[in-house]
Amino acid sequence: MELDDFRIGEQPYYRAIGEEVSFYKAAYAERMPIMLKGPTGCGKTRFIEYMAFTLDRPLITVACHEDMTASDLVGRYLLDAQGTVWHDGPLTIAVRHGAICYLDEIVEARQDTTVVIHPLTDDRRVLPLEKRGELVRAHPDFQLVISYNPGYQSVLKDLKESTKQRFGAMDFAYPPAAIEAEIVAHEARIERAMADKLVAIGERSRNLKGHGLDEGASTRMLIQAGRLIAHGVVVEAACQIALVLPITDDADIRGALTAAIAASI
Amino acid sequence: MATSLSKQQQSLVASLADQPEISGTLELVWRQAQASLPSSLLDDWVGACRNIGVRVGSNAAIAFIRNSPSVAAAAGPHSVMALAELTPEFAALAGDHTALALLVAAPIAARRLGSAQNFAEWLRVIKRIAEAAPESVSLLLEKSGRVLDSLDVRSFETWALGGIRAAENDPEQRLKFFALLDTRSLHALEQGTGSVAFTDVERELKAFVAALWRTIPPIRVLPPAGFDTPRRTCFVNGVVRVPQSSRGVDGVGGKDLFRATLAHVLAHFQFTPGKFAVGSLKPVQIALVSLIEDARVEQLAIGHFPGLRRFWLPFRLAEASGVVTAPALMARLSRALIDPDYFDPHGWVNKGRDLFFAERVRWSDPAISRTIGGLLGNDLGQMRAQFNPRTYVVEPAYRDDNQGLWDFPAAGAAAGEAVYDSVRFEQSESEPADRERETETQGDGSANVAQLVPEEAEVGIPVARYPEWDYMISRDRNEWTTVSEYNPADGNAQKIDAIFERYPETAYRIKALVQAAKVSRPTRLRRQREGDRLDLEATIGAAIDLRAGLTPSSNIYARLERRWRDLSVLVLIDASQSTNDIVKGAGRTVLELERDATSLLAHAMDGMGDPFAIHAFCSDTREDVHYYRLKDFDTRWDTLAKRRLAGVVGKYSTRMGAALRHAGRDLAACHSYRKLLLLVSDGEPSDVDIADRRYLVEDARRAVLSLRHQAIDLFCVGLDAGGDSYLTRIFGRSNVIQLDRIERLPEKLPLLYFRLAG
Repeated sequence: MELDDFRIGEQPYYRAIGEEVSFYKAAYAERMPIMLKGPTGCGKTRFIEYMAFTLDRPLITVACHEDMTASDLVGRYLLDAQGTVWHDGPLTIAVRHGAICYLDEIVEARQDTTVVIHPLTDDRRVLPLEKRGELVRAHPDFQLVISYNPGYQSVLKDLKESTKQRFGAMDFAYPPAAIEAEIVAHEARIERAMADKLVAIGERSRNLKGHGLDEGASTRMLIQAGRLIAHGVVVEAACQIALVLPITDDADIRGALTAAIAASI
Repeated sequence: MATSLSKQQQSLVASLADQPEISGTLELVWRQAQASLPSSLLDDWVGACRNIGVRVGSNAAIAFIRNSPSVAAAAGPHSVMALAELTPEFAALAGDHTALALLVAAPIAARRLGSAQNFAEWLRVIKRIAEAAPESVSLLLEKSGRVLDSLDVRSFETWALGGIRAAENDPEQRLKFFALLDTRSLHALEQGTGSVAFTDVERELKAFVAALWRTIPPIRVLPPAGFDTPRRTCFVNGVVRVPQSSRGVDGVGGKDLFRATLAHVLAHFQFTPGKFAVGSLKPVQIALVSLIEDARVEQLAIGHFPGLRRFWLPFRLAEASGVVTAPALMARLSRALIDPDYFDPHGWVNKGRDLFFAERVRWSDPAISRTIGGLLGNDLGQMRAQFNPRTYVVEPAYRDDNQGLWDFPAAGAAAGEAVYDSVRFEQSESEPADRERETETQGDGSANVAQLVPEEAEVGIPVARYPEWDYMISRDRNEWTTVSEYNPADGNAQKIDAIFERYPETAYRIKALVQAAKVSRPTRLRRQREGDRLDLEATIGAAIDLRAGLTPSSNIYARLERRWRDLSVLVLIDASQSTNDIVKGAGRTVLELERDATSLLAHAMDGMGDPFAIHAFCSDTREDVHYYRLKDFDTRWDTLAKRRLAGVVGKYSTRMGAALRHAGRDLAACHSYRKLLLLVSDGEPSDVDIADRRYLVEDARRAVLSLRHQAIDLFCVGLDAGGDSYLTRIFGRSNVIQLDRIERLPEKLPLLYFRLAG
């Protein structure tokens, strides 16, 4: 029906690292709200797409940002020729029609925004539309998933205790080197030996976390470097483009990263 | 023409009348002068010779005549005339002898300066120095070659005038400076050589080390050494000591040299598990075992990071030719062990290479260095190649001096000296630094404090009197306490910088937190495209537009937002005796934790441009509440502030109320939307003149309440040393953050900021 656009057409590539797939299936069976924790670019979004495909459910993804208000989630009145008309937000659509709603980087959103999900994430499973005077009962297929990057951005935006405690959590990290190389090789379509090198370089950059970098190179960045290499870009240049320049503007750290990359290849 | 020539010649001879021996070479001198000076200047030149001969003396005239051609060749004929013009003046300023030194130094300087303009500048600077420091100028002239090798004429002036200023009218000091005996002078000279100071590249190189190995060892800078002595990095007990600056070698820049050095030292840290025992090894064997060990750790490191080879190879300049001496062979061997493209015909070098690569599978075992090094040392001995441990310098330049590899027996220091003369040299130099470290590690131990307290002879200036609340009578005792401001003592600013190295993650998180906090009055933003409610006026306007058949504006929402930061913060540090207690579980004193927390906060706030101040207090009865201004709102968070923060020692007592009132007065004068007074304390107000424990608690509570009335927010970061905490009584439960570990600060700080933002 109307959520067909939100179905995942093809099976996304996902390389399971542990038991996360079966754990997630169990949680979905109970419609338990799930929190995916882990640094950016480690595969959280890919995982949820893969699960939505496997479970054959539509997936509505909302990228949260700091100006996002509750109206952006639940909906708002818009103007038309006759006056105001209500328009459901993405969360309300998912609740009404039974989709998995994935709120990406939820900490980015303001605190008052996140409390709208509270009645959805306990036994009640309802979404009150205050402005419209409506109480939407969740479709049986509806599940809420959020991603959450601890220690990222700012602690000020940490989730409220009352929000955190409603979720089951699954911890994601950058995969072990061998698996990460497999992923990079597959996604970037490069040889395994080159993927191994990129993963080693990734580790150099992750070592700099806290020593000038907010976050090391993610698996996603490594894949991007790999894709450039697959197109014939030389390794040093590909690493500059994909791994060094995007991540920092600090000349010292750039110098250090460039030297560390040179040392690794 | 011939007559005019002979007239010039005659006049030249006349000027040298009392020096008959020169007349013999006159013909030669004359030809040289003719060749180097244009004929239009010859008359002037002869005149100048006479002038110098008359006013300074014939020795000077001869020196002038002899040196003129080389000056003219290097810096042009006009430089010769400029020199001639200055010489008599110079003699008057600094004496005939000095003028002679000038004439001798002139060609040396001219060769290095290269142009008439530079030469004229140089003369001007020399004259200035002669005016300011007549006694030193001849010494300086003697060193001209070396000094000008390092400096161009501009930096020469800066350097020389800097020396004169540094010596503060002390001729003896000046002499030392210009004779290049003063380390400051050498240091200043080295700064001007286009060399790279380690501190300039420190951050990048540390990040490089962290990227490769995940750890950053403590890195200290060695004091400057003699100008010509090659310096090698050394490491002892995990502390790396690098030369202050590096000019680079062999066409490799200073930064690359530092980087290669650190990569090498870190390879030792990773792969050299312990020290080698000296035992009965001969000096040459020690040198060779070290050499093999260097190669071994480098090969292992290359196994991890293949690209490191490219960092090290540019330094291997040993060639398979030249005189066969022990150091040359050793340099060739170290190249053979790491450069796969290098071929050496020498049997000994080849043997070393074969032995080393035969053990490829056992490279992880340091014992092979000892075996191979021992064997090669024997062979070298049998070849009777001379090895002088006193002059031996480890090659290539990026390698450390290998002292860190050996466990020299402490009692047998003499033996150690015999092994490497440079050991003694390094150790004596690193001693002051070691002492510095000891005091650092002892930190604020109470023993230290006990020494420091009696030293404090300075007097505070009483600046204010404050009332004190007596809960027994429910009344203020007016003008009861006296606050005196004292000059803060200086400590070691590195101690503060080390904090950021110790908690990089925490520092970053706190910074992010402080940055994200938007503390200001919320403003209602109308007519927005996005917002959480409809802006009624805009909506009505849009509806009217619709009815009228016009295109309505889509900006019909309103929202509330805090957009700016408008916050002044005063951090008040409790520096009483009780802060010397060790925090349970942390193993560090309260004061150390206070310093850590304050530095981390200051670091964060400094980045934001928020006005903030750091003050400290302690008290010695109500008549003398010590108050230290470590950093004020209008001063910068610079080395001075850090030194002062590092210099805080815990002593006396904690009369919290008076200090809070005094700090509050400062803060009240700030024009900010929110004002935050942050007390960092261990939670026990007390003073020697008060027996009733409750009295000062109640007074502090009273002070907090009255400051709240002045719209000042008060919070307390309590570092509980295990005693009864009165802080919650004073500040209120929700205004106290209790910490036992500094890492928890970012977890707890949001509490505080939520309240400010709310």
